[in-house]
Amino acid sequence: MDSSGNLIPRWRRVLLRLRESVLTSGDVNEKRIRRRKRLVDIITRRLTLVKTALFISGYLWFLLIPSPHLGRGTYIDENALQPGQVNTDWNWGDVHVADNYLARLEQIRDGNFTSEQRAQWLSEEFGKLGIASSTQRYSFSTSTAVCTEDSVSSTFSRVDPTFQHLNGSNAYAVLASPRHSGTEAMVISASWVSRIGEEDGTLNMRGVSTILALAGFLKRYSYWGKDIIFVVSDGYLEGMQAWLGAYHGVSQSGLSREPLKLTSGVIWTALNIDYPGHSFSHLGVFFEGLNGRMPNQDLINSFDRIARYTAGVPVTLYEHLDPREEPAANKSPSWLPQALYNISEVKSYLYQAKNVVRHMKYQANGRGSGVHGLFHQFRIDAITLFALPATGPHGFHAIGRTIESTLRTMNNLLERLHASFFFYIMTGPQRFLKIGFYLPSAILISMGMMFHGLSAWVDAGWVQENIDYEASEPKKPTTYSQKQTWKRRRRPVISVLCIMIATHLLGIILFSLVSSTLFMENYKVLSPIVFTAFASVPLLALQISPISNPDIAPIFLVLKVLNLCFASTVISIITLLNFSLAASLTVLVGMPLVFSSPSVSLHWRLMKFAGCVNLGLGWLLFCQGEMVQAVWNWEVLTVWFAPFICIVYLPLLLQASVTCLLPP
Amino acid sequence: MLGVRPLLWPLTLLNLCLTVLGCTSEHFQENLSINTLQDGKVATKFTFTTLLRGATPRDPRTLDSEDESQHYTVFPLALGQILREYGVTELHLTLNAGNWNYDRWGYPEEKGVGTGAELWAWMGEGPTKTVDHRWRGLRNALAGLFCASLGSLDELRTTSPPQSFTPEGTLPDWGIPHKVRHAPLPSENVCTENLTPFLKLLPCKSLSGIASLLNPHRLFDADWHGMGVHVLWRKDEGIEMKLTFQSVFDPLRPASASTQAWSIHSLFDRTISQGCPVAQKSDVVVALPTSAVYAIKPEPPLIEGGAGIYDVNTVEKPLDIKMMFADQFSFRKSKPCPELTYQRQLYPALEYHSNSTPFSVKRTLRGSSQAWGQLSVVITNQRDTTVHALYLETMPWLIQFYIHTLEARVDGVIKDGIITNITYIPSVPHSRPTTFQAMLSIPPRTTVDITMDVTKAFLRYTEHPPDAQRGWDLPPAIFTPMELGNNGSFLPQDGRIYTPTLLVDLATPDFSMPYNVIIFTCTLTAAIFGNVFNLLTRKFLLVYIDPDKTQ
Repeated sequence: MDSSGNLIPRWRRVLLRLRESVLTSGDVNEKRIRRRKRLVDIITRRLTLVKTALFISGYLWFLLIPSPHLGRGTYIDENALQPGQVNTDWNWGDVHVADNYLARLEQIRDGNFTSEQRAQWLSEEFGKLGIASSTQRYSFSTSTAVCTEDSVSSTFSRVDPTFQHLNGSNAYAVLASPRHSGTEAMVISASWVSRIGEEDGTLNMRGVSTILALAGFLKRYSYWGKDIIFVVSDGYLEGMQAWLGAYHGVSQSGLSREPLKLTSGVIWTALNIDYPGHSFSHLGVFFEGLNGRMPNQDLINSFDRIARYTAGVPVTLYEHLDPREEPAANKSPSWLPQALYNISEVKSYLYQAKNVVRHMKYQANGRGSGVHGLFHQFRIDAITLFALPATGPHGFHAIGRTIESTLRTMNNLLERLHASFFFYIMTGPQRFLKIGFYLPSAILISMGMMFHGLSAWVDAGWVQENIDYEASEPKKPTTYSQKQTWKRRRRPVISVLCIMIATHLLGIILFSLVSSTLFMENYKVLSPIVFTAFASVPLLALQISPISNPDIAPIFLVLKVLNLCFASTVISIITLLNFSLAASLTVLVGMPLVFSSPSVSLHWRLMKFAGCVNLGLGWLLFCQGEMVQAVWNWEVLTVWFAPFICIVYLPLLLQASVTCLLPP
Repeated sequence: MLGVRPLLWPLTLLNLCLTVLGCTSEHFQENLSINTLQDGKVATKFTFTTLLRGATPRDPRTLDSEDESQHYTVFPLALGQILREYGVTELHLTLNAGNWNYDRWGYPEEKGVGTGAELWAWMGEGPTKTVDHRWRGLRNALAGLFCASLGSLDELRTTSPPQSFTPEGTLPDWGIPHKVRHAPLPSENVCTENLTPFLKLLPCKSLSGIASLLNPHRLFDADWHGMGVHVLWRKDEGIEMKLTFQSVFDPLRPASASTQAWSIHSLFDRTISQGCPVAQKSDVVVALPTSAVYAIKPEPPLIEGGAGIYDVNTVEKPLDIKMMFADQFSFRKSKPCPELTYQRQLYPALEYHSNSTPFSVKRTLRGSSQAWGQLSVVITNQRDTTVHALYLETMPWLIQFYIHTLEARVDGVIKDGIITNITYIPSVPHSRPTTFQAMLSIPPRTTVDITMDVTKAFLRYTEHPPDAQRGWDLPPAIFTPMELGNNGSFLPQDGRIYTPTLLVDLATPDFSMPYNVIIFTCTLTAAIFGNVFNLLTRKFLLVYIDPDKTQ
């Protein structure tokens, strides 16, 4: 045996040893079961460690997302796009045309025209160019008047004295593509109110004149393979919402609008132009859509290439200037010493963090970052070009060339923008994170929550008893101690489910209450009352007497289990739909849910309860502006954020607060 | 050129002889008509007509026996052979690009203007070779002849709607039933590779006569263009083959253009330098504007019915007709209002035109879902009398109708009596298209909104085309204006209205990412199938594990 052993080559011996370890004598099934048990055993014994590691790595990952070492440079994925490969024809003559339109628009602004007269004027200007045009009137009736009162009434949008109706007129024109059947279309749009006009009522005058001048310009060419639709929407968001809804035949409660006289084909891409200032220094790109949707990244990248190489305009994300390139933006924040700021890594990190936080803000609340976001609900890839107001050096010439070339690129598309280019976080205009680099953060935390819940589920199912060895059932495996034994106990799932359903019902009631006209009219008075009413409901849990029966698991434990598992599932699902919302949820809900547990002292219990309830309902008291905005978004734009907060987020925290209050 | 000139003489003589010989049985004439349209565009139409005097279509009962030999002088043999091989009585093939704007341009001179390819034919039912069998042969033969993908006009697209496509000639009285086959292919485009075989069918090709103006560089740059081949039989005359090429140019397209002025040279970048010797008639007909101040050079030798007629064979060559207008073209016809006064200005150039079709149609497919949608047809009767029209949808099975949701609304209120006489042949998934036909009666000066819910099909993965996934083109709906006869029956009027085509998005996997697709599929298979298979094939038994050995 020994002599022959030397003859066997070394690799063969390794193989044999491996085989021995896998296939030893004895029952194969038994071995397999044993192996599995051993694995489970290892994990269960180190469960606390695993959970902690998951949570810590998840939260650390969040901090790593803006790191300049993560992510990569942007690139064009769709070969058909060919951005910046054309000679542009937009010249100073066209700039002059745009200037003339601007002068006339200024007369319109100063003439205090109603929105209907203005839309009529725009439609006629399109008509003069020989492009079929029309207008569309609409009216939203909402319970939230306050938001519109604050922002839009100072502009030309007519708001009824009751502040319940939001009226306006859109003007639009369809340039039928020569030689094609017009089954596909692209949109260039400008809202009457600029994005900065949401606060101060600035109008998007230059954006609208660009559209008018472009209409006359684009008509001269026969290479358009898609119809081009020009839309000048009224207000900031509401006009485009009405127009898009009518175009796609989607009805919306509270909205009455005229049907569109002119239609075209399927819209694939859209560009929204926002040019409020006199001149601009950078073109900012805004891309987040309603309910966390994103446009295909190829569109952003194409625009970025074209703006930089064809028109020579630097591109920024939002209106964030890059401190590494712009001296004006190169200032250290007040809380950071200058020396630390001067480290290039820190500077890059801060700049990218600013972009990421802005992105998360836009995406999480579901409102999107502008008019382009409304297109996303109909599977149309759209972005906003925002001309950063500055004293120079760029104007109509640069923006016209950028749009012309971008339209040519969009015209090149043979199919919808596709590829897997919808999941990304832009950390800079030429830098982004792929899904694999940001998604795990939220998933790790949701895994931690799930593990925590499952371990609590096992805890709830078993109780340790000190009994005589003889009395114990023979089947029960005895583990570490011969004197202690594990006994199965019943888990009161039904009653816990009842509590959970009750909290969700409470959420539905709260949502219908908050979105009612009565509440919205007097929200400043009613909010504290509603807060007190809903916050006091979980106090009923104090009335539940503790279960003395050792065969039944305590309710709080089972409630905690289901609460954690449910929250973890919700977060995992939402990571794909709206990563920013899921990330915010992990931050807001993660730790409170994990640490919710009853305490012996009533004082401590009430403290925990107050924390949970404030987290869940605090917006009624502290973020009233955001609350009104969210309800308006739901009613006008059907953004799911408000119902989500009331029906999913709040109940999760109410359940946690009940867990804290229940007897141990 | 000088070297060729001595040869020209005998060639012309030979041509003349041929013409004289052939004129008893074959007759060729060509025509170009040019119209200015109200919205500043210019419509042109080339017509090349060959008449085989005394000839009759082949009786399908003789298809099994040897055919009589074919001798043609100007009639193209390539087409003649196809017609006789498959026993086709009447044939219409059109290849168009763009949308014909009926509201502004009125009816086209040649009816078939639906976007893409359209083929329809009347054939007698034969004893051995069925109509469907010969239809398949016909479309494949024509696909080869015209370099177009007519071969894909298969069972998925073929329907037989006899009311909308009535024969334009006469059907021979052979005592056997005649059947129509119709198939649209909206995604097919007309281009140079179709024009070249088209020119080969002409006796003078594009070398002389009116056909020399067929310059592909200009024709395929026109806003709308389309070619057609029409073969029909007239009882007392014979077989007529008509080749047409229609186009709509936009003289206002260049930035420098301010008037609608055009010339043959500006439209086609060519002039007519010599006539086609075999053409017995060769006319250029220019419709003279009625409401504008214009000048035309050279002066037309003959003016008939508001149109100037130039005989190419006699007029001085090279022929380059120039039309000039005194006024700048304006889409706005009312007097320009002072700035910022808000009286409505009118743009008749862009609106419905009273001389054109009796009604305007708009058809859209609503809904952004990939599973269902709503087909909406909005018809506006522009006349003061009730208008009747036959509405035909030949929809591929990709879109399935819910006929019970068919509703006609006037001002948002459901109204009865608008849709009558519905004929409906439901589609068969993966094979037959839907044929939906209904008679519409539209009250005077009313807009009727017809809606119907539809579902979008879920395709097998092999049914997805291998090219870029832009969606599926749906054929146009066809409206035939009808007249109420004395006995209460409807008689078709001359004219046919095609709606624009539609594009539908069906649920499509992202085929451009084969690697992802493979990974996803394999993971799913492994996870689901693997588990189920494991459970099904596993033998369950109790295993006793000694607790002592565990530790």
